[in-house]
Amino acid sequence: MSAPRVRTSEPRAAEKRNVGTEPLRRQAGPLLHSFKRPQLSQTVRNNTYDDPMTRIIELCHQFPHGITDQVIQNEMPHIEAQQRAVAINRLLSMGQLDLLRSNTGLLYRIKDSQNAGPVSFFLSKMKGSDNQEKLVYQIIEDAGNKGIWSRDIRYKSNLPLTEINKILKNLESKKLIKAVKSVAASKKKVYMLYNLQPDRSVTGGAWYSDQDFESEFVEVLNQQCFKFLQSKAETARESKQNPMIQRNSSFASSHEVWKYICELGISKVELSMEDIETILNTLIYDGKVEMTIIAAKEGTVGSVDGHMKLYRAVNPIIPPTGLVRAPCGLCPVFDDCHEGGEISPSNCIYMTEWLEF
Amino acid sequence: MTQAEIKLCSLLLQEHFGEIVEKIGVHLIRTGSQPLRVIAHDTGTSLDQVKKALCVLIQHNLVIYQVHKRGVVEYEAQCSRVLRMLRYPRYIYTAKTLYSDTGELIVEELLLNGKMTMSAVVKKVADRLTETMEDGKTMDYAEVSNTFVRLADTHFVQRCPFVPATENSDPGPPPPAPTLVINEKDMYLVPKLSLIGKGKRRRSSDEDATGEPKAKRPKHTADNKEPIPDDGIYWQANLDRFHQHFRDQGIVSAVANRMDQTSSEIVRTMLRMSEITTPSNAPFTQPLSSNEIFRSLPVGYNISKQVLDQYLTLLADDPLEFVGKSGDSGGGMYVINLHKALGSLATATLESVVQERFGSRCARIFRLVLQKKHLEQKQVEDFAMIPAKEAKDMLYKMLSENFISLQEIPKTPDHAPSRTFYLYTVNILSAARMLLHRCYKSIANLIERRQFETKENKRLLEKSQRVEAIIASMQATGAEEAQLQEIEEMITAPERQQLETLKRNVNKLDASEIQVDETIFLLESYIESTMKRQ
Repeated sequence: MSAPRVRTSEPRAAEKRNVGTEPLRRQAGPLLHSFKRPQLSQTVRNNTYDDPMTRIIELCHQFPHGITDQVIQNEMPHIEAQQRAVAINRLLSMGQLDLLRSNTGLLYRIKDSQNAGPVSFFLSKMKGSDNQEKLVYQIIEDAGNKGIWSRDIRYKSNLPLTEINKILKNLESKKLIKAVKSVAASKKKVYMLYNLQPDRSVTGGAWYSDQDFESEFVEVLNQQCFKFLQSKAETARESKQNPMIQRNSSFASSHEVWKYICELGISKVELSMEDIETILNTLIYDGKVEMTIIAAKEGTVGSVDGHMKLYRAVNPIIPPTGLVRAPCGLCPVFDDCHEGGEISPSNCIYMTEWLEF
Repeated sequence: MTQAEIKLCSLLLQEHFGEIVEKIGVHLIRTGSQPLRVIAHDTGTSLDQVKKALCVLIQHNLVIYQVHKRGVVEYEAQCSRVLRMLRYPRYIYTAKTLYSDTGELIVEELLLNGKMTMSAVVKKVADRLTETMEDGKTMDYAEVSNTFVRLADTHFVQRCPFVPATENSDPGPPPPAPTLVINEKDMYLVPKLSLIGKGKRRRSSDEDATGEPKAKRPKHTADNKEPIPDDGIYWQANLDRFHQHFRDQGIVSAVANRMDQTSSEIVRTMLRMSEITTPSNAPFTQPLSSNEIFRSLPVGYNISKQVLDQYLTLLADDPLEFVGKSGDSGGGMYVINLHKALGSLATATLESVVQERFGSRCARIFRLVLQKKHLEQKQVEDFAMIPAKEAKDMLYKMLSENFISLQEIPKTPDHAPSRTFYLYTVNILSAARMLLHRCYKSIANLIERRQFETKENKRLLEKSQRVEAIIASMQATGAEEAQLQEIEEMITAPERQQLETLKRNVNKLDASEIQVDETIFLLESYIESTMKRQ
């Protein structure tokens, strides 16, 4: 779909209007105009301040959130709708205005200078492309660094699938977009702009390298953290001071663990404190470590939002329970076992093996 | 009563009391309370035998009776009490640790006989102890009585309910079954008895003939006809008190594992102080002030008051939450959170079973879902840092074994699967029940295997028994070494080996039964405590 064209009717009413609002220049105006008006090209002439397009741009600058057609009409009532439409269409195609839809109607907003850059770059690159490609590119750009799936592009642009695929291939060959495999569903490919860094939710962050979950890496980190906490608890226990100090010195904050792991240098990837905290959480779920949160002053190293997480290695509270010491506790065919059947306590092979220990 | 429980009860009754009692007992457990004639008719045994079997069961507190309207007396079996028979070794061992051999024998006699009078217990225990002592020494009755009184004071033995003495004589016929009453105050009151005597050694007939003149013999028999001073006052073992003790032991060892020895001693002191004051199924103990605890610490521990306070604060702040602070008077009032402690122990049991059966990664997922209560599939993978495929596999395995359950939350009224949230959750109570059922079946399996092993080697066992009897008799008649040697060789070396193996296996199976019973105790206490609170 090409940029919408606004229909307008009356030309030339603007000049009269401008003359009317600026009395001082009125006298000099016609003279100046008669002397100094060079034979400029159409575009340059249209860029003088009494031109509807510049007026509209000024208005847009005044209202950075966007103006409706009504506002433009109020400001320049002498311009016909036709002229207005032409001006707006020109601005849209040049990429200086954004067209938005609100619940009251259509809004025109000035494109901010940041986007002006890539737009001009984009314009230079896509001179030859048609509007469909421009639209698809726009959609992908809007998706930011999370990327967008091809089906979603189809929904947003209402283009048929074949068209979309062709356009995507085109854009990829021009190195404007790239496809990134999502870690959640390995068959799904999301598209994003070429120079953007994919978001962590797509690549999985530090634990994924090329879409593969690195279990060994996680295991190694797990063990190292646990050893560090265990040795800390040991030294605290052997110091035999009064119990408060003993307990407090057996704690390690997440910051300390992070520093220790960084110094170990086992990780090729830079790990943040949150990453270490996820590893420490897995240790909690293993039942080897417990955590407390204390309030810490803002400024002490390692504190986040006024509190710090402390971790400590602990022992399990009961030894392996009685049931698992008997073969029946771990038997895989427990439900089939009954006296007089194929599998029974009298001929249980697990029991025979167990009795021979 | 589940099938597994009934099976286990039948095995236990058969092992302890024999076929007939087992038949009657199992029939009663299955069918609930029934009158005498119906029992005789349904089981096809003669009335006489049914009466004897019921006598045995009532004596051991396994069957209770009630008078219903129109004078019908109905008998009801108590399945849970039958299952306590598994725990007898543990009770006896506890008594031994607390009150040494005398206490052990007293409790053993009470458990084996159901109900006994104090004088009978004392006499029997003294006799048994005297046999084990060296020649010439005997056990004094007074010592045994002292231990008995101490057991009664700490509520380990209690009086049985008895028939109240009616002052005015009943005009009509006596009721078909007596109603038994017991006053709360009288339950642990020891009657004033003066038991004087010494334990008698059981002598073989030869020594009797040489030792004592015949004149003294009639006097011995006359002794037995004297009226017993405390006739009608029967004592039984108070199982609830033992259970309380086991629970305390569990809590103390958990604290010792998590923190250090001193903290566990403090917790033990607190529990000891609230033994008598707190009923056994209360969720919290009575609040104890830090000053009281300081005074009641065992004499060996000289830690200062300050250090004690620090320990108490640490205990109260610990994530385990066994000890809570309930106030600040008296230097800080502390309670022990019994319900929470039992819950933690039961959860730890569940976790341990999951870890041993499925592996430590599954245990990680299990603990994760326990802590976070409800989780989606994706969240489980993220938190546990386990690859998606493996995590899915483990979750489904645990789901099929009923450790984890699914909670469905539909987004649309038509419950379409694609638009429903499926959350994994752990229901501790139902998982505990499931595990308890498995424990019962496991113990039944172990008992069966033990009986099978014994039956397999029956011939060998009988032979070895015969040989031992022959050797004993020959030793008594003063045979020579060579003859003894010859008879001992009747058992060949491989047979001896077989006997050794058999003994070892039977011991192992026995020990394993007791270990599984520990798990049963934890789970049952937790389930009971939770049901009481609801």
